Amino acid sequence: MVLQTALLIGMVLFAVLAILLKDVLRSAIALAVASLLLGIVFFRMGAPYAGVFEISVVAGLITVLFILTIALTRKGDEVRESRLANWVFPLAFVAFVIIDALVMKGLIGKIPALAGGTETGTFGDILWKGRTLDLVGQIAVILAGVFAVLALFRKRDNHD
Amino acid sequence: MTNTWYLYLFFAVALVVAGLLGLLGRRNLIKLLIAIEVIGKGITLLLLATGYAKASLLTAQALVITYIVIEVSLVATAMALIINIYRESKSLDIRSLAKLKG
Repeated sequence: MVLQTALLIGMVLFAVLAILLKDVLRSAIALAVASLLLGIVFFRMGAPYAGVFEISVVAGLITVLFILTIALTRKGDEVRESRLANWVFPLAFVAFVIIDALVMKGLIGKIPALAGGTETGTFGDILWKGRTLDLVGQIAVILAGVFAVLALFRKRDNHD
Repeated sequence: MTNTWYLYLFFAVALVVAGLLGLLGRRNLIKLLIAIEVIGKGITLLLLATGYAKASLLTAQALVITYIVIEVSLVATAMALIINIYRESKSLDIRSLAKLKG
């Protein structure tokens, strides 16, 4: 449990660093490290499939997409962030974490535990057989994403 | 609910709030997308932690995998939008979008 808490603290720290750092490339790498730590937390919770997806897709593929975009938009990097936000963000976050800890401490034992459903079958059964309609929606979302990217990178006609 | 669940809830809420504060305070479009990703991480953690506490980890994992696939689609579309905005306005500043006419 101590290791799990340490991993979670590290993940939150890297996620906050990803938002706070000025250099966008460093932010993307901090986000990848946070994803990696979250993947390890998933493994330790006994969820290997979610852990594999988190590490390979989120820490791998999405980071590559971020770095590609940063490379393509390198000259637009100098966005002046507001100074007020640079000060307010850490203060507001620390204040919120303290309130969060107090509220969670007060809530312990107060949320009733509803009976959990019993799961039968393997992960494959639940992923493919129990969620047929979801999968159709998921395929539609992927296709919508592909078409959106194709439409955005379409070559312009001369008469436009 | 178990005490472990409250621990995960604490970190999940912290991640969501960090992302929301980032969305409110940042001006760089890529930073805004990173903040959305951080919110997504909090949601993923909470989904799996609830599955863990309820002993229905397999369903929670199926939902997390669905979310991750949708997240990739979202990021690819958002990146394409950001690159196009950069080509039009030569800047990644969110305020430059207010100057667009049309």
